[in-house]
Formats: sequence, structure tokens, C-alpha cells
Amino acid sequence: MKNELIAILKALHSPAYPVFLQGTLNEAAAYPPSFFTIWNNETPDGNHYDNDAAAFNWEFSVYFYSNDPASVNTVLAAARTALKSAGWAVQGLGYDVTSDEVTHTGRGIDVYYHQINPIGG
Amino acid sequence: MARNTLKLDTSDFERLLAQLQDAGRDAQLAVTQALEKAGQKISGDTLDVINDANLPAGGKYSTGETKESVVTNARVTWSGSVAEIPVGFDFSRPGAGGFLITGTPKMKPDKALNRMYKQKRYMRDIQDDMYHTVMSHVIDKMEDKQ
Repeated sequence: MKNELIAILKALHSPAYPVFLQGTLNEAAAYPPSFFTIWNNETPDGNHYDNDAAAFNWEFSVYFYSNDPASVNTVLAAARTALKSAGWAVQGLGYDVTSDEVTHTGRGIDVYYHQINPIGG
Repeated sequence: MARNTLKLDTSDFERLLAQLQDAGRDAQLAVTQALEKAGQKISGDTLDVINDANLPAGGKYSTGETKESVVTNARVTWSGSVAEIPVGFDFSRPGAGGFLITGTPKMKPDKALNRMYKQKRYMRDIQDDMYHTVMSHVIDKMEDKQ
């Protein structure tokens, strides 16, 4: 589901905001003007059938950072709407997160997807 | 006038209801104690992680302001029937280590703190322990009164 999540985030804006794995930006490099990061916190089994997982619960944190403080709120709100439309569950309206750079502010939301595992899959 | 009557003696129920009422009053104390015990466990586990030299950025967050921002010795507050206790980092203090849980674009989340605060299992185990503590207390109190 990571690829699906990235595709939804990239479709929010044209040109697409970059999407990175949290913690992978080069320490020496400057931030892009605006970008997403994601982190897969865990993916436990959702339930079981016939001695196998019948579903998985994907749990991600999605963060948006920007040098435009206003867009931090609006873009993350748009991400929340797009994810809910695509069947994701989004907990709450988000929270502020720390940025490495004083030029940028950040905000995050926790998102979940219940993926049915085809029997025998 | 009916010749047969159906009777229900409520005296046993009244005793049970009185026991439940007494147990309910005691349950508030049990809930407070269970929450404070859980809070101490969470703060202890958080400090253990902070003290670990394997923290991101070479462990530079393991001392000083970040360590001092960990909530310790918290007290339970009641709002009606809801009890709550602060846990984790006190974000009103400088150097609060919330970023160790979420990571930053240039620093991955700390694995242990992410497991505690972002994954469900750690908190679910804590809540299960609290539930069993409170229920055991209530049941013990009811059995004492029989």
C-alpha cells in the first residue's frame, strides 16, 4: 500500500510535491520548498482465517513540510480528503511536527488502510 | 382475583446493588492507582530509551533538555467519569523530544519510541494491565462484602 499512498499524495498537486521516506533527506542539502514524507509505523495482521492472515492493517504517518506556513495546513487537509475518498481511515485533523530547518514548518496525520488478503495470497 | 401469584424477592439483588455501589466508589481509587502506575511505567520506559546511546544523531538527545522534558511523577485528573494522566514528552518545555517519535526529514524516527507511541501494541498492553488491575480490585471488594 506504500506505492498507493505515494500515488495519492503525488496526485494532489501539479507539479507533484516530492514524497520521501522520513529521515532520508541528505543532512547537508537544503529542503525542497514543499514536500511530503511518510513512515510505515506498522502493518499488523487484521484478522485470520484458516491459519493465515485474512487482512492487514497498514498504519502510516504522513508529514508535509513547507516554507509556506499556510500551505502546511491546506495541503495536509487536502491529503486527508483525498485519502478518505480512496478508502483510507484518517485519525483526527493532525498535529504539528518538528522541522530540521528554520525555514520550514511541518504537520502530520496518521492514516490507516485495512487491506483484505485474498485467501491463498 | 388471581389464585396464583408470581413473586420475585429482590433482597438478594438489593445486596448485590449495594455491593456494586460500594465497589464503584472504590473503583475510582483503583483507576487512579492503575493510571499512575501505568504513567510511571511509560515514563520509565521512555527514559530508558532516551538514555540509550543508540538514539539517532549519535545520542546527542540523550541528556539535558530532552531528558528533562519527559513527563514523570504525573498525577491523575478526573473530569466527570473520565480519568487522564499526561505521558510522554512535555511540549511546553524546550527540547521536548516529540521529534524522536516522529523523526524529521533528515532523521529517522527512533525505533523504540516509535514502537511505544505510534504502534498500538505497547499502549494496548498497558491498557490491558490497567483493566485487569481495576477489575481485580472491584471483584476483590465485592467478594469481601459477601
